[in-house]
Amino acid sequence: MSQKVSELLDGQLASSEVKAALEETAADPALRDRYTIYGLIGDALRGNSTPDDAYSARILERMKREGAQIEPGFDPLRDE
Amino acid sequence: MEDTNPDVELVRLAQANDVRAFEALVVKYQRRVARHVARYLKSAADVEDAVQETFIRAYRGLAAFRGESAFYTWLYRIAANVAIRHLKRQPQHVLLGDDAPEERTDAFQPGVSDSEQPERTLIAAQIADTVQRALAKLQPDLAEALLLYEVESKPYAEIATMLGIPIGTVRTRIFRAREFIARRLEPVLGPQRNRRW
Repeated sequence: MSQKVSELLDGQLASSEVKAALEETAADPALRDRYTIYGLIGDALRGNSTPDDAYSARILERMKREGAQIEPGFDPLRDE
Repeated sequence: MEDTNPDVELVRLAQANDVRAFEALVVKYQRRVARHVARYLKSAADVEDAVQETFIRAYRGLAAFRGESAFYTWLYRIAANVAIRHLKRQPQHVLLGDDAPEERTDAFQPGVSDSEQPERTLIAAQIADTVQRALAKLQPDLAEALLLYEVESKPYAEIATMLGIPIGTVRTRIFRAREFIARRLEPVLGPQRNRRW
C-alpha cells in the first residue's frame, strides 16, 4: 500500500483509484505518516525548510475552528 | 494519471466536500507555501498565520478553481496576495518594485516562533543531512529516478523515456527510493504519528 501512497502524492493513480487510496491512507496513521514523510523528503531535496511536525495539523485545526466551508462565489484572490 | 495537473482528482474530491482530499493537499503543499510566504514576511508567526489564511481562503474558494492552471499555481497566487496584505498591514512595510519579494538568505524556518528558531534550525539541518546521507547510500538507479522527479521536476512519463524503462518501473523506483530514505529519517523525526496529519 505504501507504493500507492507514493503514487497518490505524485498524482500518478488513475482517477478511479484515488478515492480508495485516499480513504485507506487517511484511515491509517502509518500510511498518513508515510504520505507526510515522502512529501518532506521531496521538499528537503529541493532545499525547502521544514516547519515543525504539527504545522499542517494547526492549519486543519484553524479551518475547523473557523468553520471554513466551500463558498460558491467566493474568490480567494480578491480582497474581502 | 496526470503529470501536468497532478492534483486534479484530489481537487475534484475536495470540491465534492471530501475534507480528507483537501487535507492531503494541505500536507503536500504546506512547506512550499510557507517558503513562498516567507519571501515576503519576516516573522515566523506572520508566516504561519499567512499560510493558514492561504489554505482557508483556498478552501472557501475551491468552487472557483476551474483547473485552468495547476492547483499549486493557484495556491501560490493566493499565498502571494495574502502575504502582501499582511505586509501592508505592518507599520513600516516596504514593497520592492511590483510587490516583488526579497529572497531570504538567512536560515529562517517558517512555522516556529522566533524563540524556537535555533532548535528548529538544528532539526531542519538534521533532516537535510539525513536525506543527503541516505541519498548517497541509495542504489544509483533509484536515486536517479527520485532526483529527476523531485529536483528536476520531470514528469514520470519523461523519466521513463529518458531512462528507457517502463513507467511502472519509474513508479517502483521512486517509491523504493522514498522508502529507503524514510526509514533513515524516522529516528530523526521521532514517533509523531497522528500529529503530522
